[in-house]
Amino acid sequence: MFLQRHDQIVSGIDWSRSSNKIVTVSHDRNSYVWTQEGQDWVPTLVILKLNRAALCVHWSPKENKFAVGSGAKSVSICYYEQENNWWISKVIRKKHESSVTSVAWHPNNIHLATTSTDGKCRVFSTIIKGVDTRGPQAGASVDWKFGEQIAQLDLSPTWAFGVRWSPSGKTLAYAGHSSMIYFVDDVEGSPAAQNLALRDLPLRDILFVSEKMAIGVGFDCNPLIFAADETGLWSFVRYLDERKVTPSTSKASQLSEALGKLYGQSRQGSSSDTVEPSKPRGGAHENCITCIVPLRKGSESIVKRFSTSGLDGKIVVWDLENHITIPK
Amino acid sequence: MCGTGRSKPVEALKTALEGSPLKTRDERCKSANWIVVHRAMMAIRDIDGMFNSLDTEYYDILMKYLYRGLSTGDRPTCDQCLKIHEKLTERAGLGCILRSLADTVNTV
Repeated sequence: MFLQRHDQIVSGIDWSRSSNKIVTVSHDRNSYVWTQEGQDWVPTLVILKLNRAALCVHWSPKENKFAVGSGAKSVSICYYEQENNWWISKVIRKKHESSVTSVAWHPNNIHLATTSTDGKCRVFSTIIKGVDTRGPQAGASVDWKFGEQIAQLDLSPTWAFGVRWSPSGKTLAYAGHSSMIYFVDDVEGSPAAQNLALRDLPLRDILFVSEKMAIGVGFDCNPLIFAADETGLWSFVRYLDERKVTPSTSKASQLSEALGKLYGQSRQGSSSDTVEPSKPRGGAHENCITCIVPLRKGSESIVKRFSTSGLDGKIVVWDLENHITIPK
Repeated sequence: MCGTGRSKPVEALKTALEGSPLKTRDERCKSANWIVVHRAMMAIRDIDGMFNSLDTEYYDILMKYLYRGLSTGDRPTCDQCLKIHEKLTERAGLGCILRSLADTVNTV
């Protein structure tokens, strides 16, 4: 079944669990909220007022707002206005110096983290009168105005992707394109960051399976498992897909095969023409994994199943249950 | 070659790498350090031996200097840099190459 409305690449999609709505955003600069009526999904256009592509979208935890990151260096926060029966967008235009590559909601439904190709990770307040200021609220978050920047992390010298909060909101993680992953505690207060250098290729997206375990996916075409010990120190555990030849040795040998021709020039003085690109061997994904999404049953706090999708056009469902013990 | 002769280039390289001016934008400072690193690098004969005594914290910086060496186009320099590059990639992984190429802020 196809939901047909966008006329360019759909760059972001999110499905709200309780309210059963799908939000999609596209390079055509539009966004649609799809509501199920019987067998059909009916789209409602949300006017984002963008003059560049929309790149990513996520529903807020309470599903009453969604955030859209765009190539216009802005983030649009959209909420539903009951009186007029439509979605309104409020734009955060300041601060980002380049495209917003990913957005992530803090469990408090107000703080939003963003990553950008300017390398920085930022946290904003998205508090909206009438949407967030009803009923009892966590005191701290009401001090900030809409669009105010709460924190800025300048840890990556290059593009940043895949920002995610841990289930409690205490830890923030994001990927840097120089094969780095950053874990930051207490971003809104006194940030304490851990910069982990990855052995192989960069990540594009991250998922917190629990408070102390996270999965990173990216150009290695194989999910990476990260875990924190009792002191909160994060480290790389192993690759998830065992069918793939151990990347560190295989990549290096594939690379040496390819570069051998290049190195051969220095050794024997012989010339060679082309260098063949190395292909990943075996495993579920054959190309870069760009997205990782949890598959939750009921109100489980630990993610035991998740799906990944990538540039190879495949969607793979992974089950952690019998493969690793997940620290809470 | 006597024992001390073999370890001196490695020590020289370590010292040169430690003094890397990553944060400055002063080209003369970077060039000066490059000359020292280059000299130490070219003096190394036993590359595997060098890696056995070089800590992993130097890998990323060394990779940046290797690319600087490769950019010179000078045949003996490139030969040596490629030899070291092969071994360094085996030990450090592709991430090391990524970090040296993607980081346009902390350059050598």
